[in-house]
Formats: sequence, structure tokens, C-alpha cells
Amino acid sequence: MKRTQIRSERMQTLINRYHELALSGARKANSTGELRCVIERGPFPKMSEVPSRAQGYRPEAEQWAEDYAFLLDTMEPQIHGEETIVGEIHWEMADIRPNDPAVTRIREEFLPKARELGELGGYCASSAHTCPDMEIVLTEGYDGILKRIREYKEMYGRLNNLRRHRYLCAMETVCLACIRYIERYAAHAEALAKAAEEDAERLQLTRIGTACRRIAHHAPETFYEAVQVLHFSILFDKAIAHGNGYGRIDQYLLPFYQQGKKDGSLSREDARDLVAELYLKLAGCFFGVGGRKEDGTDAVNELSWVALEAYDLTEIDCNLAVMWHSDIDAAFYAYACDILARYGQATPVLINWDIMYASELRSGIPKEDAWKVCYAGCQWYSIPGKEYCGHDMTSVPGITLLLRALKRGVTEKAADFETLYRFFEEEIHYAIRLIQAVESLTDQVRGDLWPEIVTSMFAHGPIERGQDLAAPRGVDYQYTSFNIAGIPNVADSFTAVKKLVYEKQLYTLEDVVQACEADWAGQEIMRQRFLNQPKYGNDLPEADEMYVKVCNSFQEIAESYVNRRGGQPFRPCLYSYMSHLSSAGVGASPDGRRCGEPYSHGINPQAGASKRGMLPMVHSAAAADMRKFQGGSIQIELQPKFFDGKEEHFAYIRDFSNAFFKSGGFHLNINIMDLAKLEDAMEHPENPEYQQLMVRVTGFSARFVSLSPDFQKDFVSRTNYASLER
Amino acid sequence: MCRELLTIDISRGSAHDGPGLRTTVFTKGCPLHCRWCQNPESIGVKNEPWWEKHSCIGCRLCLSACPQKALSADQNGIRIDRTRCEACGRCAEICPCGAMSFQGQTYDGERLLREVLRDRLYYEQFGGGVTCSGGEPLLQYGVVAEFFRALKAEGIHTALDTSGAVPLENLQAVLPWTDLVLYDLKLFDAAEHKKWTGATNERILQNLLWLAGHAAREGRPKLWIRTPLIPGATADEKNIKEIGTFLSENMKDVVERWELCTFNGLCVSKYGRLGIPWEFDGVKAMTGETVTRLWRAAVSAMPEERVFASGMTRSSSAE
Repeated sequence: MKRTQIRSERMQTLINRYHELALSGARKANSTGELRCVIERGPFPKMSEVPSRAQGYRPEAEQWAEDYAFLLDTMEPQIHGEETIVGEIHWEMADIRPNDPAVTRIREEFLPKARELGELGGYCASSAHTCPDMEIVLTEGYDGILKRIREYKEMYGRLNNLRRHRYLCAMETVCLACIRYIERYAAHAEALAKAAEEDAERLQLTRIGTACRRIAHHAPETFYEAVQVLHFSILFDKAIAHGNGYGRIDQYLLPFYQQGKKDGSLSREDARDLVAELYLKLAGCFFGVGGRKEDGTDAVNELSWVALEAYDLTEIDCNLAVMWHSDIDAAFYAYACDILARYGQATPVLINWDIMYASELRSGIPKEDAWKVCYAGCQWYSIPGKEYCGHDMTSVPGITLLLRALKRGVTEKAADFETLYRFFEEEIHYAIRLIQAVESLTDQVRGDLWPEIVTSMFAHGPIERGQDLAAPRGVDYQYTSFNIAGIPNVADSFTAVKKLVYEKQLYTLEDVVQACEADWAGQEIMRQRFLNQPKYGNDLPEADEMYVKVCNSFQEIAESYVNRRGGQPFRPCLYSYMSHLSSAGVGASPDGRRCGEPYSHGINPQAGASKRGMLPMVHSAAAADMRKFQGGSIQIELQPKFFDGKEEHFAYIRDFSNAFFKSGGFHLNINIMDLAKLEDAMEHPENPEYQQLMVRVTGFSARFVSLSPDFQKDFVSRTNYASLER
Repeated sequence: MCRELLTIDISRGSAHDGPGLRTTVFTKGCPLHCRWCQNPESIGVKNEPWWEKHSCIGCRLCLSACPQKALSADQNGIRIDRTRCEACGRCAEICPCGAMSFQGQTYDGERLLREVLRDRLYYEQFGGGVTCSGGEPLLQYGVVAEFFRALKAEGIHTALDTSGAVPLENLQAVLPWTDLVLYDLKLFDAAEHKKWTGATNERILQNLLWLAGHAAREGRPKLWIRTPLIPGATADEKNIKEIGTFLSENMKDVVERWELCTFNGLCVSKYGRLGIPWEFDGVKAMTGETVTRLWRAAVSAMPEERVFASGMTRSSSAE
């Protein structure tokens, strides 16, 4: 099974540089790891010259674009020895421009609503995960995009639709800045080539210069140029702090790969090295491979293999997802599982394409678009260039809603469980209306405050409609996704309350509310009773049915609301990245959880609740119909001794994930981690051995030692499995 | 015929009780009393209270709940007077933290089937199935036979893990729906067998001879032999050689696999929960060298490719 990839000296040099950058701390180490492609160069050097600072801040797309152009123009080209893929960024938009709705005209309305949502423990922040369509730049080139921008800009000007006209003026500014950035690289490579003393070096630099000259304006002609323009384009997007996914790399690069193979200019190893360079430069970037084609057949091709081989070559974490489906090439999937088993750092992520596709169809997306669906980072998925759902921008903790419902149950004397549960559903309505209000307000100003102009250049609709992809009808599919945190805690709380309050009548609802408010002080016996009720995560019908009921309530209620982006429904995601960080403010809950204790992340059971082993746990995780939700991943932490005495490690991952996906499971992040090592790394973060210890935190991977202590603690307290049995 | 199966545990995702990934149903009640038994709670047919120190919060609600006054508390926690306990279950019912429980659980056939079929997709992927172990499942042969028949109707692979210390008819009743028998041979010497397990091995060997003949004639079920390697009891070369010679002379071609399972002391906590002392408390895991020596003894009689040693070992340097 094992396919050892042989590193050339050149690749080894580039890999070394990657590690040096990581160790020196030069890579931006934000907690989510999505911005690791930023090579830090200290504070932004020309802050006072930033247009919005020099002229005074105006929440307008045009000024946003000027700031963005200034940001790109400030970055001097950098070409390092042995590189063939070039380009890096040193700052991001957030360094130079505020992104706060409170600075806009909606301030008066926005602040109280945002505060109300904040009091509920929710948030409306983060930058959305979506998926630009990189095929646009690969087929049209920047000149092609610019031509379309100008065409529609003039049309809207002629038709006196100034809002759309101005938006496209802003986009033109951005597009020209992108072109200038690439041209600077061309010029820099040419200058370096002139000065080069060695023939080989001169040749290499000339090749870079020629490629950059072409792709600054035109569509790429070779695989190399395609990867290079892909890299530049992703950097342009990443300079806006994006957690975007960049689509099905094994599909959109395929024509270039096939052409190169056909005319003899490209070998499989050349392609692998180029893709590996891309991974090294981007240092963690969401791509997807696998899935199906439009006719439903397996989309795996030689380039899908190359994408995995490139990872196998570099051994760096790269947030690559393999999109499983029931007819996926068995040898390819086995190789993916082998990589996962060998490196143990949750790469590739395994995600069920059939469920993503079904979910998109279920939302009303026609077949001809739905099949294009791709993993878009963390737990999300999107139709590249056609879908914008504001993933991860809004979150609400289920526990707070539960606690509010319980209080109301006391005041209004909920006589039976159904009445209590109805109160909870009304709380969901309340939370979604609040999200809707905040979203609607921010939607009004998003185009002025923080337009998604770069992503919009790589989308279908924004140019033709003169509308940002985040603005109403900017792209065709614009649901609003929002995260729900702590669903397992809510479900377990209800299971316990139903049993102990309404069935056994051991306690009153008032007792429960008081105990939670007092954080179970003096009530350890009572807490133990609530803690020891059937829990989600053990394949127990009683607990799992409650979990499904809670999930479905959120989904059904959410889908009854629409957003102001074309009136499309809300779609809940069974995940929250913030959950384990924001747990401090969430009160004790009737599942026996104490105040401040982390609550469950995503659809993983509460820490310590899964007691019957891994199989019952994953059965619970597949209990809800995942087609109804906008994702929800399960984290599995395996101890290395899980594989003791087993010859073919990959086969365990393969067989296990096959069965999980066939039973309706959606998404697996599998870490294979020595717990003792992690605990030691917390104590001795300076130990060189731990510097490259990568863990899949949840939707993203990160260097363990760079995580905050809270994240680290959360990570090691997760249920670890040393075998499939208990 | 008994319709319900008395069990102590259902373990899902087992990789040790037959091929592939399996669910192992551990039944309660055993005719042998092996002094090293890894599942002491499975021996008696009577249900027994089981107290977990680490879960107990010391509320002592159980003490007053017991109508037999069988429970008391001291500095080590709860003490159980097993002569008084009538297994009414009230202590477990009142216990808020699950520290007091009863391991015996009855499953009716339908519920049992439902539970083990949950992992069907995993059996298919891993080439596994369901194993009935114990205790001694053949003490409840009627319900095990029905259970296996239902599993075969669902196309699930079945394995029976037996000590063989039961009337031959019990075994015969289950065989038609059994794909694999995991047959325990612990000690070859009858007196030693009696000393360590409480019974001689005549019936065990006779049943095995019959089973091997049956399997040779019918071409099924498959037969695996399992020998626990217990320091001071079974783990000596003479015993292993004798078992090997017996197998080689009588069923060389029928035995598909002979597993030597090394001793581990992990079950000591179970004895603690039952409140009974265990003579193997503190006995260390075997060294790799010892296991290799015993494996050599085994392959001197049986074909090498069919002899497997499994389980925990420790490195000799740790001595």
C-alpha cells in the first residue's frame, strides 16, 4: 500500500524553508490556521497613507477597493531560491481597515440587536466560508475578467444604475491591483534572471518571468502556469482573511494536466511537485478531491492521486478533503486512508460527497449545479462560485435557549414535557428572529462595509449583476447558515429532565433551575442523577431520539425563516467553532454539566459521555438525517496503540469510514495522537520535537503548541480511543 | 426453552473474538471456575452487585436502601455481604452516580438481535460478525441456538466461544447455525485441570474430538483452539506441547487456528468491584521471550502458520 514519494533536493529545500518559517513564528499563527500563508513582516509600514486613513474612512465599496489595492501594491515581490511557484503576502485587510457594522449608518439599530444576541451567547462575526470558482480565472485570465467588469460597469453607468456601476468600478480597481501584483513578480523575476550567474538559475527565473507576464493578463496555457495563477488568486482572496475553500483542484486543473501529459511537457512527478509547492506556499488551504462527476460516475482521476501524492511528499498539513462516495475508486480511497493512518493528523479530512449533494438538491439547487458541490473548509460545502451562505458568521448556543425555556417552564408552570419543549421551540424562534434581524441589518451595509470583491471576481453573477456575491441575488444560491453549539448538551438535558422531573417526579422543574443557577452548589447527589441519565453518544434510542428531535426542531424552525438575500431560508449547521472557547459564560445545564465546563463541540458527545465505545458513538453521530443540515463533523481521537498488532493500519480507517458513511455519517476528522505526548507538549512547548505537532482541532488543523491553553486543554480532555471497543 | 439470554456485557467493535470486527455477547454463568478468570462476574448464574469505587461519591444512600442490610461502609468504601444480598436491585436503583450496579442483564431474543444488528455495516466492511462468549454460552444453548439461527437468517457470521465443559447435546443444538467455534483448551493434564478450573477435562476433550470429527465430515464449522497462557498454571512448555500433540494427532487438518492468549491483569478491578480477592493480583504480564518460547513449543506440534500468540507482553528489560 505505502507509496513513498521521493523528494528531490529542490523539494527538500522548499520543505525546509516551510519548517523554518513555521518555527521562526513568521507565519501568522491565528488560532484557526487559515491565515498561515501570511508571512509576517511586522506592522503595516505605510499606515498613514492607506486611502481610508489619508482621506477619512467612508464605508463604501470604492474606498474598500482603494484600500485593498493599496495593500497589494505595498507588497514587494519575493522570490526565494529553488521556487517555481512564487508569491507571498505579508498583511491582510484587517490590518488596515475596520470591519465593524457599528461604524456605519445602521449603528443605532444594529448595536441593541447585536447586544441582545450577544447576551444570548450568540455572535455575528468571522468571515464567511464559501467557495470561489477558480475555473473562471483559469479559463478567462485576468484580462477576460477585467473585460467583463468594464463591459457591465459601462452598461450600468449608461443605464444610470450608479450603485451597480460604482460596485463594478471598485471591482475594476481590485482587478487592476491583482494584475499589477503579478506584473511586479514578472519584472522582479526578469531582473533576477538578468543578474543570475548560473544558467540553471537564469532559466528558472526566466520561466517564472514568462509565466507571470502571461498570467497577469491571459489564461494560463500550461499546468505550471495554471498552478501559479491559482496560487496568486488564492493569495488575493486570503489577503482578506478568508477561510474559503478553493474547490475541486483535481477537476479544474485536469485539462492542463492532460494537455501537459499529452504533449510530453509534464510528468506525473512534475505535477506532484508543483502541487506540493502550492501546499507549501499556502500552508493549509481547503481543497477537495474525489466526489462524483455530473453523470454520477466517480470523479477520481490521475490528478486526484497527484493531489494526495503531493501531500505525501511534503507531509505538511494542508486541510485537504477526500470526498467519499459509495462508488469511489477503491485503490484511491485506500491510499487516502493510508496517508491518514501514517501521518495521523486528520489529513485528508473524510467527507461524504453523497450527503453534500443530497443536501444541496434538498435545498432546491438544480442537478446541473448541485453536482459541482465541494468541501469549503471546516465543515462546510458550497457550489463553487454560485453559493454564498455566510457560513460560520452566526452562532447561537443551544444551552442558553434551553435554560431560558426551563425558566419559563417554572414561571408558567409547564405541566408536562411537551409544554416545556414547546417553550424551547419558541426560544429557537426568538433566537432565529434575532439572527435574522442582525443579519438583515448587516446585509444592508455589507456591500459598503466589507464587500467580498475578490471572491466575487471568481463567481457567477456578481459582475453581470453589478452585485457583490454577499448582496441580494449576487449569486444564485444564498441560504443563511448559522451554527448551533452544544446540541448534545441540550438533548441530554432534556432526556434527564423528562425522566427525572416528568416521569419519576424526583425533582421539580424549579429544583432544576435553582440547581443550575447555583451551579449545583450543595446538590452533588442531584447533579449525579442528572449526569447519569442516558446520554447521546452511546447508541441508546432514548438519548439519540431526543438528540434527533432537538436537531430537527432547529432545522424545521430555521427553514421557516428567510433572509433578505433573495428570500432564501436559514440552514442550521450542527457545529460551532466558538463552542469550546465561549463556554465560560454559559450556565450549568441539566445534563450535569457545571458552569464554565466546555460543552460538546459539534456533534461529538459531551466529554466523558460516550461510554460504550467508538461504534455506538458514531451510530449516534449518524442518527440525524445529515442531508437536512449544513454539515456537522465528528472528531475522532485515536491513540497510537489502537493499531497495535494490526498490520494494515489503513484498512481500519478505510473499513471504518466506509461503514460510517454508508450508515449516513457525514464528516470524519481523525487524529492519531499520543495523549501523553500532547500533555507533555503543554508542559514543554519549547521542545523542538513538538514544534510540528499538527492536530485537527475541529474544522481546521493547527500546530498544537501554537494553540491557546484553553484549546489545548479542550483537546486533551476529549474522549480518546485505544481500540474500537470501550 | 428459555427465551431470554442472561448476559454480563455486550461489547461492540471487538477485534479479538474471531475474524474481523465483531460484537461479542458475554453470557452469564459458567460450569468452570478458572482461578485466573478474566470475567469473574460471568461465573455465577445469580446476579451480583458490583461497586465501582471511582464513580462513588460516598453519599451512602445505598446503605439504607438495602432491605437485607447487606451493605456497610468503611474507609475503603462500600462493603457488600454477599451472603445476605438477594439481588433485589434497590441499591443500584437509588445510586445517583451509577457506582452501584448489577452486571447481569437479560435480553429477549428480539432486543438482542436488534442490538447486534446495529453494527451490520461494520461487520460487512471488516468481514466480522457476532460472537457468543461468556461465561459459558452453552449453558443457555436453547436461546443461543435461536439467536444464531436468527443471525444466519440475516446473513451474519456467527462464532461460538466455548469451554466445551457442557453436555454434547448443548453443543450439537447450536452447531447448525455456527460458522466458527472458538474452543478453549486450557490444560491437558486432567488433575491440573481439576486443580485450576474445578473440573476435569474429560468431557471437554471428548466433545472436542466429536466436534473435530463432525467438522471434518461436514466441512463446517471452522474450528479455532484457544489456550490462555497463565503464569504458573497453563503457561508451561509441557502443557502446550501436550495440547499441541493432541491437536496434531486428532485434528491437525481441521484446526484452522490455534491462539495462545497471553495473561493480563487488567481484570483485577473487576474483582475489586465484586469485593473478592484474586490470587493473580500483582502477577505481571509475560515477557516477549516467554511467549516466544511457548509459541516454539506449540509449533513443534502444530503447523507454524496456524499458531498465533496474542495479547499483552512486557519487555524483559522492565523486570
